[in-house]
Amino acid sequence: MRGLRELQLGFAAAVLDGADGDFARHVRGAGSSGARRLRVYRNNAALGLTGALEAVYPVVRRLVGEDFFRYAAARYIARHPSRSGDLHEFGERFPSFLESFSPAAALIYLPDVARLEWAYHEVFHAAGHPSLDVAALARVPAERRETLRFRLRPAARLLESAFPILRIWQVNQDDHAGDAPVDLREGGVKLLIVRRDNLDIEFCALADGEFALLRALADDCDFADACERAMTAQPTFDLPARFGRHVARGTLVAFRQTRE
Amino acid sequence: MTTEPALPRLGPGPIPARAGIGLRAEHYDAVLRDRPPVGWLEVHSENHFGAGGKPLDYLERVRAHYPLSLHGVGLSIGSTDPLDRRHLAKLKELIRRFEPALVSEHLSWSSVGGRHLNDLLPLPYTEEALDHMIARVAQVQDVLGRPILIENPSSYLQFVESAMPEWAFLVELAERTGCGVLLDVNNIYVSARNHGFDTSAYLRAIPRHLVREIHLAGFTVNRVDDGELLIDTHSRPVWPAVWALYRQAIQRFGRIPTLIEWDTDLPELGALVDEAQRADAILEERHARAA
Repeated sequence: MRGLRELQLGFAAAVLDGADGDFARHVRGAGSSGARRLRVYRNNAALGLTGALEAVYPVVRRLVGEDFFRYAAARYIARHPSRSGDLHEFGERFPSFLESFSPAAALIYLPDVARLEWAYHEVFHAAGHPSLDVAALARVPAERRETLRFRLRPAARLLESAFPILRIWQVNQDDHAGDAPVDLREGGVKLLIVRRDNLDIEFCALADGEFALLRALADDCDFADACERAMTAQPTFDLPARFGRHVARGTLVAFRQTRE
Repeated sequence: MTTEPALPRLGPGPIPARAGIGLRAEHYDAVLRDRPPVGWLEVHSENHFGAGGKPLDYLERVRAHYPLSLHGVGLSIGSTDPLDRRHLAKLKELIRRFEPALVSEHLSWSSVGGRHLNDLLPLPYTEEALDHMIARVAQVQDVLGRPILIENPSSYLQFVESAMPEWAFLVELAERTGCGVLLDVNNIYVSARNHGFDTSAYLRAIPRHLVREIHLAGFTVNRVDDGELLIDTHSRPVWPAVWALYRQAIQRFGRIPTLIEWDTDLPELGALVDEAQRADAILEERHARAA
């Protein structure tokens, strides 16, 4: 096995790290031709992996421009190589990478825009789930409701940002009409990204109470605790109406009784 | 309390001896709307590895109308890293759900030391690599509980270690594991031009009974100072020289299900259907002659 393993490790080093060393000695018709032939594989790998990032992060790409994106992608690929034969799994750490990527430091909202795009990507591929059993929920005696724990739809993500990332995302869609500059002073946003039963993906900007409620439920708090957090976040929050809406619209898909 | 997803209404089973097309996300809607007259469809397995959403929903809907083939691009079967059990489990689940008539992988590797290049990389054609591939294909077939097809890749370099031609390696692999051969005629042409071997010798070396599927696609020509390299980009129509080689392949192997692949710079669906009809005409010629 030694020969094949060493050959593969040398090939990967030459292609991914540009560490050609004496790898060309393994290539027939070496010399300049060998280097050129290796370069094809280097280009293919870079194109494929960069293309995978571009597919997940089109808004980030649009914000920074193609050349900058490719440069950032090359740095990312070197630091966080692909770990799966399924390219859809590649790029999860791109948002946190951008946070520490000094050439992009001036675009303070960029990592959060990337988080939004990764959340969208996850929601796009997440499992479906049957609706919550509303009749069963209605049968739970009032005194036991406080101890219920709810489950968020697998195709739902909660995301909070100090920047208006939803507006940034929207004005950078291909079908967005008009030139609407986004003022960063608009402030932050609390978001629910959710794929509905018809497979459409929605972005819902949530008020503080609603976000706190869903966040707490997603974190497996019981209903009483989640309600308390919601009311603390927003004392005027119309909890019954909003909770009912998320049950009806399928943001919450299951519940279970917690033993006392 | 996740409930089992409903089984799709499965369409026709076996892959007919006709031309099919590679289905990509950009064409989902057009295929469902137009139901193009192609014999079958092939998708990249990994494009449907997600847990839910549109990729699975669309596949379910097209599966109701067309025979299906699953073509893997990421299993890294020739790698010296351990086989990725999670990847294989996802493939197995996809097979259970969609009951494809054919399942194929590549004569290549794409990862080592835990790093994936997500590209189809060449193997040295040595006895050691052959033993390794035989063990790996056997392992995959064992887990999946069915034979797979292995496709010859396009390659841009040859290793000095190689002790046998690619065709000998491929034939030996197929004979010793029971896997079939997915013969990519475009890849034969591309590699032959890049390395200077005889395409006819390649075809002649493959026993007739091994070939279960043929691939056709378009390459691009990468010109450099002291020559040119053909790159398998799947980005344009099949070249005339590849059609000629295809005709030769059909004469030798008979009417083999043939796939038109197109992955980058995707045209309208109609362009793929036109290419498939061209392949169908060549398959029909063979039929007429055989009759």
